[in-house]
Amino acid sequence: MREIFKLAGILFVITAIAAVLLGFTNIATADKVAQQLEQENIDARMAALPIASEFKKVETPELENAIQTEFQIIEEVYEGISDNEVVGYTFKTVPKGYGGEIVLNVGISVDGKVTGIKVVNHSETPGLGAKATEDYFQDQYRDIPIDSPLEVVKTTPANENEIEAITGATVTTNGITDGVNISVDLYNELLK
Amino acid sequence: MKLGKIFMNGIIKENPIFRLLLGMCPTLAVTTAAINGLGMGLATAAVLVGSNAVIALIKDLIPAKIRIPSFIVVIASFVTIIGMLMKAYLPALDKSLGLFIPLIVVNCIILARAESFASKNGVVSSIADGLGMGLGFTLALTILASIRELLGAGSIFGISVFGAGFEPALIMILPPGAFLTLGLLLGLLNKMTQKTQ
Repeated sequence: MREIFKLAGILFVITAIAAVLLGFTNIATADKVAQQLEQENIDARMAALPIASEFKKVETPELENAIQTEFQIIEEVYEGISDNEVVGYTFKTVPKGYGGEIVLNVGISVDGKVTGIKVVNHSETPGLGAKATEDYFQDQYRDIPIDSPLEVVKTTPANENEIEAITGATVTTNGITDGVNISVDLYNELLK
Repeated sequence: MKLGKIFMNGIIKENPIFRLLLGMCPTLAVTTAAINGLGMGLATAAVLVGSNAVIALIKDLIPAKIRIPSFIVVIASFVTIIGMLMKAYLPALDKSLGLFIPLIVVNCIILARAESFASKNGVVSSIADGLGMGLGFTLALTILASIRELLGAGSIFGISVFGAGFEPALIMILPPGAFLTLGLLLGLLNKMTQKTQ
């Protein structure tokens, strides 16, 4: 009987020390981690909407309602501002890719163009879907008029609204393009 | 046993991947790009050295009956601490290794070395063993990942090697390629060491 108490006691001491060390490390790194996350979000908005110099979160009830009903893959919308004028919006969208969700920022300008995208997080396959983070792919989404939805093609694009799929990663490309199109739909419905 | 010998043991004679065949899961999954293999190996090595050192330090205080849960608490704490430090100071690497950092906890290599070496040897020897095994793991991972990245994406550490005309064998960066590469490497190493006996 006494042995059980001794064993439990030792385990308790070990786990207590571990907990203290973990708590300490958490406190020491928490600010830096939050900072990294926020910087990542800021960078993503800037990359998606380069014409803006500052961003303000949109938090109207209409938007909340739209997000909860029809546009569930959109998480946040920010106003992009330059010289005190709203020049566009960024949409944090989370479409499904091949290996899971892709966290994406889409920029749409007030003169009706997709200004760019920034893939923030993903679990796509390296060498295939992971290529979506590279400039050559993301640059395809710069300056595309939003009057017709974007389409994924497997050959060289012939029209402005066509996106060339990553070789061997059509699912990833489709997911990202869907995210862009849904952002355009939300923009057309609420913010135009 | 001399420290140098203990260290080299983990790299050559008892290399955790090529000889002990431990830690296969992260080995196969993470070696899609050379930098990932290197990063994962070094993170695991850091945990190995830390956990080996601590376990060797407190081994006399732990009754044999609860040694496994105690080792696991030590290992899990180290992995969590290293994970937090990476999230704060090396976010890009943390992102690309993703889920596999917390999975270092269940990497057999760490528990195996805790049980078979650190719980029976002094702190300095255990550190040497952790370092040797960790670097041996890193070496094996980097070799495996370099081959897979070279044939599967035409690059090494992100630097394109073969130029635009190269058609990569995509299978190499998918799971079948992992098994193929590892199997062939093991066969090759066995054949090479067979000759010298």
